Amino acid sequence: MDVNFRKIDIDKYDEDVLLEDELYEADPRDPAQVLNDTRTKVNAVRSALSKGDTVGAITLVLDAAPYGASVEEAKNLNLQTLTSILNSTKASEIPSIVKSLSQDAQDTLMKYLYKGMALPGWGDVSGSVLLGWHEKLTEVAGTGCIVRAMTDRRIV
Amino acid sequence: MAPQVFPLAQIPVTSHAFNADRSQVAVSLNSNDVTIFHRQGAEWAAGETLAEHDKLITSIDWAPNTNRIVTSAQDRNAYVWNPTVDPTTGQTSWKPTLVLLRINRAATFVRWSPNEDKFAVASGARAIAICSFDPEGDWWVSRLLKKPIRSTVLSLDWHPNNVLLAAGSADMKARVLSAYIKDVDKRPSPTVWGEKLPFNTICAEYASHAGGWVHSVAFSPSGDALAFASHDSSISIAYPQHGPTAVHTIKLSVLPLVTLIWTREDEMIAAGHDCEPFVFRGGEQGWELAGSLDDHKHSGLSGSGAGKGVGSGVSPVGRLNSAAFNTFRNADTRGLSSMPGSPVSPSGGSTLGGSGSGESELFTVHQNTITEVRLYEGQIGAVNKVSTSGVDGKLVVWDVASVAPVSVGGLAGKLGGMRI
Repeated sequence: MDVNFRKIDIDKYDEDVLLEDELYEADPRDPAQVLNDTRTKVNAVRSALSKGDTVGAITLVLDAAPYGASVEEAKNLNLQTLTSILNSTKASEIPSIVKSLSQDAQDTLMKYLYKGMALPGWGDVSGSVLLGWHEKLTEVAGTGCIVRAMTDRRIV
Repeated sequence: MAPQVFPLAQIPVTSHAFNADRSQVAVSLNSNDVTIFHRQGAEWAAGETLAEHDKLITSIDWAPNTNRIVTSAQDRNAYVWNPTVDPTTGQTSWKPTLVLLRINRAATFVRWSPNEDKFAVASGARAIAICSFDPEGDWWVSRLLKKPIRSTVLSLDWHPNNVLLAAGSADMKARVLSAYIKDVDKRPSPTVWGEKLPFNTICAEYASHAGGWVHSVAFSPSGDALAFASHDSSISIAYPQHGPTAVHTIKLSVLPLVTLIWTREDEMIAAGHDCEPFVFRGGEQGWELAGSLDDHKHSGLSGSGAGKGVGSGVSPVGRLNSAAFNTFRNADTRGLSSMPGSPVSPSGGSTLGGSGSGESELFTVHQNTITEVRLYEGQIGAVNKVSTSGVDGKLVVWDVASVAPVSVGGLAGKLGGMRI
Protein backbone atom coordinates (compact mmCIF):
# COMPACT_ATOMS: atom_id res chain seq x y z
CA MET A 1 0.00 0.00 0.00
CA ASP A 2 1.23 3.45 -0.79
CA VAL A 3 1.67 5.36 2.45
CA ASN A 4 3.58 8.30 1.05
CA PHE A 5 0.54 10.52 1.41
CA ARG A 6 1.22 10.43 5.16
CA LYS A 7 4.35 12.47 4.59
CA ILE A 8 2.50 15.34 2.94
CA ASP A 9 2.61 18.46 5.06
CA ILE A 10 -1.11 19.09 5.25
CA ASP A 11 -0.61 22.20 7.38
CA LYS A 12 0.67 23.91 4.23
CA TYR A 13 -2.84 23.78 2.80
CA ASP A 14 -4.50 25.05 5.96
CA GLU A 15 -5.03 28.79 5.86
CA ASP A 16 -5.72 28.94 9.56
CA VAL A 17 -2.80 26.82 10.76
CA LEU A 18 -1.64 27.34 14.34
CA LEU A 19 2.06 28.16 14.33
CA GLU A 20 4.52 27.30 17.07
CA ASP A 21 5.38 30.94 17.80
CA GLU A 22 1.72 31.81 18.37
CA LEU A 23 1.68 29.57 21.40
CA TYR A 24 3.96 31.67 23.58
CA GLU A 25 4.75 35.30 24.11
CA ALA A 26 8.00 36.20 22.41
CA ASP A 27 10.80 37.92 24.30
CA PRO A 28 10.21 41.68 23.89
CA ARG A 29 13.99 42.29 23.61
CA ASP A 30 15.59 41.93 20.19
CA PRO A 31 18.16 39.14 19.71
CA ALA A 32 21.24 41.41 19.81
CA GLN A 33 20.01 42.94 23.05
CA VAL A 34 19.44 39.47 24.54
CA LEU A 35 23.01 38.45 23.68
CA ASN A 36 24.36 41.66 25.19
CA ASP A 37 22.37 41.18 28.38
CA THR A 38 23.58 37.61 28.68
CA ARG A 39 27.23 38.68 28.24
CA THR A 40 26.97 41.34 30.95
CA LYS A 41 25.34 38.73 33.15
CA VAL A 42 28.30 36.37 32.74
CA ASN A 43 30.59 38.95 34.34
CA ALA A 44 28.20 39.58 37.19
CA VAL A 45 27.95 35.83 37.75
CA ARG A 46 31.77 35.50 37.85
CA SER A 47 32.09 38.19 40.47
CA ALA A 48 29.31 36.61 42.55
CA LEU A 49 31.04 33.24 42.31
CA SER A 50 34.38 34.70 43.34
CA LYS A 51 32.69 35.98 46.49
CA GLY A 52 31.38 32.45 47.08
CA ASP A 53 27.76 33.56 46.54
CA THR A 54 26.46 30.53 44.61
CA VAL A 55 22.79 31.33 45.23
CA GLY A 56 23.26 34.84 43.90
CA ALA A 57 25.09 33.52 40.85
CA ILE A 58 22.42 30.95 40.02
CA THR A 59 19.63 33.49 40.52
CA LEU A 60 21.39 35.82 38.10
CA VAL A 61 21.77 33.13 35.44
CA LEU A 62 18.18 32.00 35.73
CA ASP A 63 16.72 35.50 35.73
CA ALA A 64 15.55 36.63 32.28
CA ALA A 65 17.04 33.55 30.66
CA PRO A 66 17.03 33.79 26.85
CA TYR A 67 14.30 31.75 25.16
CA GLY A 68 12.64 31.33 21.80
CA ALA A 69 14.03 31.28 18.30
CA SER A 70 17.00 33.25 16.87
CA VAL A 71 18.90 33.64 20.15
CA GLU A 72 20.91 30.41 19.93
CA GLU A 73 24.21 32.09 20.84
CA ALA A 74 22.79 33.68 23.98
CA LYS A 75 21.13 30.40 24.93
CA ASN A 76 24.41 28.50 24.63
CA LEU A 77 26.28 31.12 26.60
CA ASN A 78 23.73 31.02 29.39
CA LEU A 79 23.79 27.22 29.50
CA GLN A 80 27.57 27.26 29.65
CA THR A 81 27.54 29.73 32.53
CA LEU A 82 24.98 27.67 34.39
CA THR A 83 26.75 24.33 33.89
CA SER A 84 29.98 25.82 35.20
CA ILE A 85 28.13 26.70 38.40
CA LEU A 86 26.38 23.34 38.57
CA ASN A 87 29.67 21.51 38.13
CA SER A 88 31.52 23.51 40.77
CA THR A 89 28.86 23.21 43.48
CA LYS A 90 29.40 20.65 46.23
CA ALA A 91 26.67 18.00 46.35
CA SER A 92 26.00 18.73 50.02
CA GLU A 93 25.17 22.36 49.26
CA ILE A 94 22.63 21.63 46.52
CA PRO A 95 19.51 21.21 48.73
CA SER A 96 19.92 24.54 50.50
CA ILE A 97 20.65 26.35 47.22
CA VAL A 98 17.60 24.86 45.50
CA LYS A 99 15.38 25.76 48.47
CA SER A 100 16.42 29.40 48.42
CA LEU A 101 15.53 29.88 44.75
CA SER A 102 12.24 31.49 43.77
CA GLN A 103 9.58 29.30 42.17
CA ASP A 104 10.20 30.84 38.75
CA ALA A 105 13.93 30.24 39.08
CA GLN A 106 13.27 26.63 40.08
CA ASP A 107 11.17 26.13 36.94
CA THR A 108 13.86 27.66 34.76
CA LEU A 109 16.55 25.55 36.42
CA MET A 110 14.51 22.43 35.65
CA LYS A 111 14.31 23.46 31.99
CA TYR A 112 18.12 23.79 31.87
CA LEU A 113 18.59 20.40 33.55
CA TYR A 114 16.45 18.74 30.88
CA LYS A 115 18.21 20.69 28.16
CA GLY A 116 21.55 19.54 29.55
CA MET A 117 20.40 15.92 29.58
CA ALA A 118 19.33 16.26 25.95
CA LEU A 119 22.85 17.35 24.96
CA PRO A 120 25.11 14.42 25.81
CA GLY A 121 28.76 15.23 25.34
CA TRP A 122 28.06 18.92 24.88
CA GLY A 123 30.71 21.07 26.57
CA ASP A 124 31.37 19.88 30.07
CA VAL A 125 27.83 18.73 30.84
CA SER A 126 27.99 15.67 33.01
CA GLY A 127 25.00 13.38 33.39
CA SER A 128 25.64 12.48 37.01
CA VAL A 129 25.86 16.13 38.05
CA LEU A 130 22.60 16.95 36.27
CA LEU A 131 20.84 13.95 37.81
CA GLY A 132 22.06 14.97 41.25
CA TRP A 133 20.58 18.45 40.81
CA HIS A 134 17.41 17.00 39.30
CA GLU A 135 16.85 14.77 42.33
CA LYS A 136 17.27 17.60 44.83
CA LEU A 137 15.18 20.01 42.79
CA THR A 138 12.33 17.51 42.45
CA GLU A 139 12.36 16.95 46.22
CA VAL A 140 11.86 20.66 46.78
CA ALA A 141 9.72 21.75 43.83
CA GLY A 142 7.79 18.54 43.19
CA THR A 143 6.53 16.92 40.03
CA GLY A 144 4.68 20.12 39.16
CA CYS A 145 8.03 21.72 38.37
CA ILE A 146 8.84 18.90 35.91
CA VAL A 147 5.43 19.25 34.28
CA ARG A 148 6.02 22.97 33.78
CA ALA A 149 9.45 22.32 32.25
CA MET A 150 7.72 20.03 29.76
CA THR A 151 4.72 22.18 28.88
CA ASP A 152 6.41 25.57 28.68
CA ARG A 153 7.06 26.57 25.09
CA ARG A 154 9.45 29.34 26.10
CA ILE A 155 12.29 26.91 25.49
CA VAL A 156 15.63 27.95 26.96
CA MET B 1 -16.64 13.23 57.98
CA ALA B 2 -15.10 10.51 55.96
CA PRO B 3 -15.93 10.54 52.27
CA GLN B 4 -18.52 8.14 50.90
CA VAL B 5 -16.91 5.88 48.32
CA PHE B 6 -18.93 4.05 45.68
CA PRO B 7 -16.99 1.74 43.37
CA LEU B 8 -19.24 1.85 40.30
CA ALA B 9 -17.14 -0.25 37.97
CA GLN B 10 -13.65 -1.44 37.17
CA ILE B 11 -13.72 0.90 34.20
CA PRO B 12 -12.80 4.60 34.07
CA VAL B 13 -15.70 6.99 34.68
CA THR B 14 -15.34 9.64 31.99
CA SER B 15 -18.09 11.88 33.24
CA HIS B 16 -20.89 11.89 35.79
CA ALA B 17 -24.02 13.97 36.37
CA PHE B 18 -26.59 13.66 39.15
CA ASN B 19 -30.30 14.38 38.85
CA ALA B 20 -31.92 17.07 40.99
CA ASP B 21 -32.63 14.98 44.10
CA ARG B 22 -29.40 12.94 43.74
CA SER B 23 -31.35 9.66 43.54
CA GLN B 24 -29.90 8.88 40.13
CA VAL B 25 -26.57 9.48 38.48
CA ALA B 26 -25.76 9.30 34.78
CA VAL B 27 -22.24 8.09 34.09
CA SER B 28 -20.24 7.22 31.05
CA LEU B 29 -17.98 4.23 31.68
CA ASN B 30 -15.47 5.00 28.95
CA SER B 31 -17.88 3.73 26.31
CA ASN B 32 -20.45 4.83 23.72
CA ASP B 33 -23.30 4.49 26.21
CA VAL B 34 -24.55 6.38 29.22
CA THR B 35 -25.61 4.25 32.18
CA ILE B 36 -28.03 5.60 34.74
CA PHE B 37 -27.40 4.29 38.25
CA HIS B 38 -30.18 4.35 40.86
CA ARG B 39 -29.55 4.85 44.54
CA GLN B 40 -30.57 1.81 46.56
CA GLY B 41 -29.72 2.35 50.20
CA ALA B 42 -25.97 2.69 50.41
CA GLU B 43 -25.40 1.27 46.95
CA TRP B 44 -25.85 2.31 43.35
CA ALA B 45 -27.53 -0.14 40.97
CA ALA B 46 -27.18 0.09 37.21
CA GLY B 47 -30.43 0.97 35.45
CA GLU B 48 -31.27 2.33 32.01
CA THR B 49 -28.70 2.54 29.26
CA LEU B 50 -28.80 5.47 26.87
CA ALA B 51 -27.40 4.08 23.63
CA GLU B 52 -27.34 6.27 20.55
CA HIS B 53 -23.82 7.64 20.20
CA ASP B 54 -21.45 5.57 18.10
CA LYS B 55 -18.18 6.91 19.51
CA LEU B 56 -16.92 7.53 23.05
CA ILE B 57 -19.03 9.82 25.17
CA THR B 58 -17.03 12.79 26.40
CA SER B 59 -19.40 14.66 28.67
CA ILE B 60 -22.84 14.47 30.31
CA ASP B 61 -24.98 17.14 31.92
CA TRP B 62 -28.31 16.69 33.69
CA ALA B 63 -30.55 19.76 33.95
CA PRO B 64 -31.96 19.80 37.50
CA ASN B 65 -35.24 21.65 36.81
CA THR B 66 -36.25 20.52 33.33
CA ASN B 67 -34.95 16.98 34.03
CA ARG B 68 -33.29 16.58 30.65
CA ILE B 69 -29.92 15.00 29.94
CA VAL B 70 -27.56 16.24 27.28
CA THR B 71 -24.60 14.17 26.09
CA SER B 72 -21.69 14.89 23.78
CA ALA B 73 -19.40 12.38 22.10
CA GLN B 74 -16.49 11.89 19.77
CA ASP B 75 -18.97 11.06 17.00
CA ARG B 76 -19.39 14.88 16.62
CA ASN B 77 -22.96 14.71 17.90
CA ALA B 78 -24.91 15.80 20.91
CA TYR B 79 -28.21 14.29 22.03
CA VAL B 80 -30.85 15.73 24.32
CA TRP B 81 -32.61 12.98 26.26
CA ASN B 82 -36.18 13.48 27.48
CA PRO B 83 -37.70 11.13 30.04
CA THR B 84 -41.03 9.51 29.19
CA VAL B 85 -42.91 7.45 31.73
CA ASP B 86 -44.77 4.45 30.39
CA PRO B 87 -48.32 4.82 31.86
CA THR B 88 -48.92 1.06 32.17
CA THR B 89 -45.64 -0.11 33.70
CA GLY B 90 -44.49 3.14 35.32
CA GLN B 91 -41.04 2.61 33.81
CA THR B 92 -39.01 5.59 32.67
CA SER B 93 -37.44 5.50 29.26
CA TRP B 94 -35.22 8.15 27.74
CA LYS B 95 -35.96 9.43 24.24
CA PRO B 96 -33.03 10.95 22.36
CA THR B 97 -33.19 14.00 20.10
CA LEU B 98 -30.26 14.58 17.80
CA VAL B 99 -28.82 18.10 17.84
CA LEU B 100 -27.36 19.43 14.60
CA LEU B 101 -24.06 20.82 15.81
CA ARG B 102 -22.42 21.43 12.42
CA ILE B 103 -18.94 20.63 13.70
CA ASN B 104 -16.44 18.37 11.94
CA ARG B 105 -14.47 17.20 14.97
CA ALA B 106 -15.28 15.49 18.26
CA ALA B 107 -17.60 17.19 20.72
CA THR B 108 -15.59 17.39 23.94
CA PHE B 109 -17.70 19.00 26.64
CA VAL B 110 -21.31 19.98 27.23
CA ARG B 111 -23.12 22.12 29.81
CA TRP B 112 -26.69 23.40 30.25
CA SER B 113 -26.99 27.12 30.82
CA PRO B 114 -28.29 28.18 34.29
CA ASN B 115 -31.82 28.77 32.90
CA GLU B 116 -31.65 25.42 31.08
CA ASP B 117 -32.95 26.98 27.85
CA LYS B 118 -29.59 26.72 26.07
CA PHE B 119 -26.59 24.48 26.20
CA ALA B 120 -23.04 24.85 24.97
CA VAL B 121 -21.00 22.11 23.29
CA ALA B 122 -17.22 22.43 23.09
CA SER B 123 -15.43 20.73 20.24
CA GLY B 124 -12.16 19.91 18.57
CA ALA B 125 -13.25 21.96 15.55
CA ARG B 126 -11.99 25.19 17.21
CA ALA B 127 -15.58 26.08 17.90
CA ILE B 128 -18.26 26.09 20.57
CA ALA B 129 -21.82 25.31 19.52
CA ILE B 130 -24.47 27.28 21.41
CA CYS B 131 -27.72 25.36 21.08
CA SER B 132 -31.21 26.66 21.73
CA PHE B 133 -34.63 25.12 21.12
CA ASP B 134 -36.61 26.24 18.10
CA PRO B 135 -40.28 25.46 18.88
CA GLU B 136 -41.41 26.01 15.27
CA GLY B 137 -39.03 23.45 13.81
CA ASP B 138 -39.28 21.35 17.01
CA TRP B 139 -35.52 20.89 17.14
CA TRP B 140 -32.36 22.23 18.73
CA VAL B 141 -30.48 24.67 16.53
CA SER B 142 -26.86 25.61 17.05
CA ARG B 143 -24.86 28.75 16.45
CA LEU B 144 -21.08 28.52 16.44
CA LEU B 145 -18.65 30.62 18.46
CA LYS B 146 -15.47 30.45 16.41
CA LYS B 147 -13.12 33.37 16.58
CA PRO B 148 -10.57 33.64 18.13
CA ILE B 149 -10.34 30.01 19.26
CA ARG B 150 -7.21 28.41 17.82
CA SER B 151 -7.46 24.85 19.08
CA THR B 152 -9.68 22.25 20.75
CA VAL B 153 -11.95 23.60 23.45
CA LEU B 154 -11.65 21.38 26.52
CA SER B 155 -14.05 22.88 29.03
CA LEU B 156 -16.88 25.37 29.46
CA ASP B 157 -18.68 27.15 32.25
CA TRP B 158 -21.76 29.37 32.16
CA HIS B 159 -21.94 32.73 33.90
CA PRO B 160 -24.95 32.98 36.25
CA ASN B 161 -26.52 35.56 33.87
CA ASN B 162 -27.15 32.82 31.26
CA VAL B 163 -25.32 34.84 28.57
CA LEU B 164 -21.57 34.75 29.19
CA LEU B 165 -19.60 31.59 28.66
CA ALA B 166 -16.06 30.74 29.78
CA ALA B 167 -14.02 28.37 27.62
CA GLY B 168 -10.71 26.67 28.32
CA SER B 169 -8.80 25.61 25.26
CA ALA B 170 -5.74 23.67 24.11
CA ASP B 171 -4.30 26.86 22.63
CA MET B 172 -3.26 27.67 26.25
CA LYS B 173 -5.98 30.28 26.72
CA ALA B 174 -9.02 30.72 28.89
CA ARG B 175 -11.61 33.03 27.37
CA VAL B 176 -14.87 34.65 28.30
CA LEU B 177 -17.27 34.97 25.36
CA SER B 178 -20.80 36.11 24.88
CA ALA B 179 -23.31 33.42 23.93
CA TYR B 180 -26.24 35.82 23.68
CA ILE B 181 -29.14 34.44 21.60
CA LYS B 182 -31.68 37.06 20.66
CA ASP B 183 -34.78 34.86 20.79
CA VAL B 184 -33.89 33.25 24.10
CA ASP B 185 -32.14 35.81 26.24
CA LYS B 186 -33.30 39.09 27.63
CA ARG B 187 -30.83 41.94 27.30
CA PRO B 188 -28.24 41.18 30.00
CA SER B 189 -27.44 43.87 32.51
CA PRO B 190 -23.83 45.08 32.48
CA THR B 191 -21.30 42.94 34.34
CA VAL B 192 -17.63 43.28 35.16
CA TRP B 193 -17.00 41.46 31.87
CA GLY B 194 -18.60 44.16 29.71
CA GLU B 195 -21.73 46.12 28.94
CA LYS B 196 -22.75 45.41 25.37
CA LEU B 197 -22.67 41.72 24.70
CA PRO B 198 -23.72 40.69 21.20
CA PHE B 199 -23.03 37.06 20.18
CA ASN B 200 -19.33 36.14 19.98
CA THR B 201 -18.06 39.22 21.87
CA ILE B 202 -14.68 38.39 23.42
CA CYS B 203 -14.87 39.78 26.93
CA ALA B 204 -11.56 38.50 28.26
CA GLU B 205 -8.65 36.30 27.31
CA TYR B 206 -6.10 34.89 29.75
CA ALA B 207 -3.02 32.85 28.90
CA SER B 208 -1.97 30.00 31.14
CA HIS B 209 1.16 30.65 33.14
CA ALA B 210 3.67 28.29 31.56
CA GLY B 211 1.94 27.23 28.39
CA GLY B 212 -0.29 24.40 29.55
CA TRP B 213 -3.55 23.72 27.78
CA VAL B 214 -6.47 24.84 29.91
CA HIS B 215 -8.29 21.80 31.33
CA SER B 216 -11.00 23.47 33.33
CA VAL B 217 -12.67 26.84 33.75
CA ALA B 218 -15.22 28.08 36.26
CA PHE B 219 -16.91 31.35 37.12
CA SER B 220 -17.11 32.23 40.80
CA PRO B 221 -20.64 32.04 42.30
CA SER B 222 -21.13 35.79 41.71
CA GLY B 223 -19.72 35.50 38.19
CA ASP B 224 -17.25 38.30 38.88
CA ALA B 225 -14.13 36.12 38.93
CA LEU B 226 -12.88 33.31 36.73
CA ALA B 227 -10.69 30.39 37.75
CA PHE B 228 -8.88 28.09 35.38
CA ALA B 229 -6.60 25.10 35.82
CA SER B 230 -4.03 24.26 33.20
CA HIS B 231 -1.62 21.49 32.35
CA ASP B 232 1.41 23.39 33.65
CA SER B 233 0.25 22.38 37.17
CA SER B 234 -1.06 25.82 37.88
CA ILE B 235 -4.38 27.29 38.84
CA SER B 236 -5.19 30.92 38.09
CA ILE B 237 -7.91 33.23 39.33
CA ALA B 238 -8.74 36.37 37.34
CA TYR B 239 -10.53 39.46 38.64
CA PRO B 240 -11.53 41.50 35.57
CA GLN B 241 -12.70 44.56 37.50
CA HIS B 242 -9.05 45.17 38.44
CA GLY B 243 -7.86 45.10 34.84
CA PRO B 244 -6.75 42.41 32.41
CA THR B 245 -3.58 41.63 34.35
CA ALA B 246 -5.25 41.05 37.72
CA VAL B 247 -4.61 37.31 37.74
CA HIS B 248 -3.43 35.29 40.73
CA THR B 249 -1.53 32.17 39.76
CA ILE B 250 -0.66 29.34 42.11
CA LYS B 251 2.04 27.04 40.84
CA LEU B 252 1.66 23.62 42.38
CA SER B 253 4.30 21.08 43.21
CA VAL B 254 1.94 18.25 42.26
CA LEU B 255 0.64 16.89 38.96
CA PRO B 256 -1.81 19.01 36.91
CA LEU B 257 -5.42 19.60 37.92
CA VAL B 258 -8.10 18.85 35.36
CA THR B 259 -11.38 19.82 37.02
CA LEU B 260 -12.47 22.51 39.46
CA ILE B 261 -15.53 23.89 41.20
CA TRP B 262 -16.17 26.97 43.36
CA THR B 263 -17.75 26.05 46.69
CA ARG B 264 -17.98 29.64 47.97
CA GLU B 265 -16.92 33.03 46.69
CA ASP B 266 -13.63 32.55 48.56
CA GLU B 267 -13.07 28.81 48.20
CA MET B 268 -12.75 26.23 45.47
CA ILE B 269 -11.93 22.59 45.03
CA ALA B 270 -9.79 21.27 42.22
CA ALA B 271 -8.67 17.77 41.39
CA GLY B 272 -6.85 15.92 38.67
CA HIS B 273 -3.86 13.72 38.00
CA ASP B 274 -2.77 13.74 41.63
CA CYS B 275 -5.88 11.73 42.57
CA GLU B 276 -7.06 13.91 45.44
CA PRO B 277 -9.28 17.01 45.64
CA PHE B 278 -7.31 20.05 46.78
CA VAL B 279 -8.93 23.02 48.50
CA PHE B 280 -7.92 26.57 47.61
CA ARG B 281 -8.93 29.67 49.54
CA GLY B 282 -8.46 33.33 48.92
CA GLY B 283 -9.96 36.44 47.41
CA GLU B 284 -9.05 39.50 45.42
CA GLN B 285 -5.84 39.90 47.43
CA GLY B 286 -4.53 36.46 46.57
CA TRP B 287 -5.09 32.75 46.76
CA GLU B 288 -3.38 29.82 48.41
CA LEU B 289 -3.61 26.07 48.73
CA ALA B 290 -5.52 25.45 51.96
CA GLY B 291 -5.49 21.68 52.10
CA SER B 292 -6.98 18.52 50.71
CA LEU B 293 -10.35 16.82 51.20
CA ASP B 294 -8.50 13.52 51.19
CA ASP B 295 -7.22 12.89 54.69
CA HIS B 296 -4.79 10.04 54.15
CA LYS B 297 -5.18 8.91 57.75
CA HIS B 298 -8.89 8.27 57.19
CA SER B 299 -8.55 6.55 53.88
CA GLY B 300 -7.60 3.30 55.61
CA LEU B 301 -4.77 2.77 53.23
CA SER B 302 -1.89 4.41 55.03
CA GLY B 303 -0.12 1.34 56.27
CA SER B 304 1.99 0.87 59.34
CA GLY B 305 5.47 1.34 57.99
CA ALA B 306 5.25 4.15 55.53
CA GLY B 307 2.23 5.68 57.25
CA LYS B 308 4.02 8.22 59.40
CA GLY B 309 6.01 9.79 56.67
CA VAL B 310 3.24 9.64 54.16
CA GLY B 311 0.22 10.67 56.20
CA SER B 312 0.95 14.33 55.70
CA GLY B 313 2.38 13.90 52.26
CA VAL B 314 1.22 15.00 48.87
CA SER B 315 4.28 13.75 47.10
CA PRO B 316 3.35 11.23 44.46
CA VAL B 317 6.75 9.74 45.06
CA GLY B 318 6.30 9.36 48.78
CA ARG B 319 2.65 8.44 48.64
CA LEU B 320 2.97 5.69 46.13
CA ASN B 321 3.01 2.37 47.88
CA SER B 322 3.51 0.07 45.04
CA ALA B 323 3.92 -3.66 45.23
CA ALA B 324 6.09 -3.54 42.16
CA PHE B 325 8.27 -0.91 43.82
CA ASN B 326 8.60 -3.08 46.92
CA THR B 327 9.46 -6.09 44.84
CA PHE B 328 12.30 -4.32 43.12
CA ARG B 329 13.56 -2.74 46.31
CA ASN B 330 13.58 -6.06 48.11
CA ALA B 331 15.41 -7.59 45.23
CA ASP B 332 17.90 -4.77 45.36
CA THR B 333 18.54 -4.44 49.08
CA ARG B 334 18.01 -7.96 50.35
CA GLY B 335 18.46 -10.14 47.34
CA LEU B 336 14.85 -11.33 47.62
CA SER B 337 13.02 -11.99 44.43
CA SER B 338 9.33 -12.21 45.21
CA MET B 339 7.24 -12.17 42.11
CA PRO B 340 4.18 -9.94 42.06
CA GLY B 341 1.18 -12.02 43.08
CA SER B 342 3.13 -14.40 45.28
CA PRO B 343 2.74 -14.06 49.06
CA VAL B 344 4.13 -10.66 49.95
CA SER B 345 6.89 -10.42 52.52
CA PRO B 346 5.69 -9.32 56.00
CA SER B 347 7.06 -5.83 55.63
CA GLY B 348 5.56 -5.34 52.23
CA GLY B 349 2.26 -6.97 53.13
CA SER B 350 1.54 -4.85 56.15
CA THR B 351 1.62 -1.67 54.13
CA LEU B 352 -1.16 -2.73 51.83
CA GLY B 353 -3.88 -2.34 54.45
CA GLY B 354 -7.44 -2.11 53.10
CA SER B 355 -7.97 -4.41 50.21
CA GLY B 356 -4.94 -6.56 50.77
CA SER B 357 -4.52 -7.20 47.08
CA GLY B 358 -1.02 -7.36 45.77
CA GLU B 359 -1.51 -4.42 43.43
CA SER B 360 -0.14 -0.93 43.54
CA GLU B 361 -2.07 1.22 45.92
CA LEU B 362 -2.05 4.93 46.53
CA PHE B 363 -2.69 6.51 49.90
CA THR B 364 -5.57 8.49 48.42
CA VAL B 365 -9.22 7.47 48.12
CA HIS B 366 -9.15 7.68 44.35
CA GLN B 367 -6.63 5.28 42.91
CA ASN B 368 -6.26 7.13 39.63
CA THR B 369 -6.86 10.50 37.98
CA ILE B 370 -10.02 12.33 39.03
CA THR B 371 -11.97 13.15 35.87
CA GLU B 372 -14.70 15.41 37.17
CA VAL B 373 -15.74 17.23 40.32
CA ARG B 374 -19.36 18.39 40.68
CA LEU B 375 -21.74 19.97 43.13
CA TYR B 376 -23.47 17.30 45.22
CA GLU B 377 -25.15 19.05 48.14
CA GLY B 378 -25.93 22.70 48.76
CA GLN B 379 -26.32 25.42 46.18
CA ILE B 380 -24.04 27.54 44.05
CA GLY B 381 -22.08 29.74 46.44
CA ALA B 382 -22.81 27.57 49.47
CA VAL B 383 -21.74 24.06 48.60
CA ASN B 384 -21.69 21.47 51.38
CA LYS B 385 -20.68 18.39 49.47
CA VAL B 386 -19.03 17.66 46.15
CA SER B 387 -18.79 14.46 44.14
CA THR B 388 -15.82 13.23 42.14
CA SER B 389 -15.47 10.51 39.54
CA GLY B 390 -12.20 8.92 38.59
CA VAL B 391 -10.35 6.75 36.12
CA ASP B 392 -10.40 4.10 38.88
CA GLY B 393 -14.16 3.67 38.36
CA LYS B 394 -15.06 5.21 41.71
CA LEU B 395 -17.64 7.82 42.57
CA VAL B 396 -16.85 9.63 45.82
CA VAL B 397 -18.90 12.14 47.79
CA TRP B 398 -16.81 14.52 49.91
CA ASP B 399 -17.76 16.82 52.76
CA VAL B 400 -16.40 20.24 51.83
CA ALA B 401 -15.91 21.23 55.47
CA SER B 402 -13.43 18.48 56.36
CA VAL B 403 -10.17 19.85 55.03
CA ALA B 404 -6.95 18.06 55.89
CA PRO B 405 -3.76 20.09 55.86
CA VAL B 406 -1.11 19.45 53.26
CA SER B 407 2.38 20.82 53.14
CA VAL B 408 3.26 21.25 49.54
CA GLY B 409 6.88 21.94 48.85
CA GLY B 410 8.36 20.18 51.83
CA LEU B 411 8.81 17.04 49.86
CA ALA B 412 12.18 16.13 51.26
CA GLY B 413 10.73 14.90 54.55
CA LYS B 414 8.22 12.69 52.81
CA LEU B 415 10.82 11.02 50.72
CA GLY B 416 12.71 10.32 53.92
CA GLY B 417 9.58 8.64 55.26
CA MET B 418 9.59 6.20 52.39
CA ARG B 419 11.89 3.89 54.29
CA ILE B 420 9.90 0.91 55.44
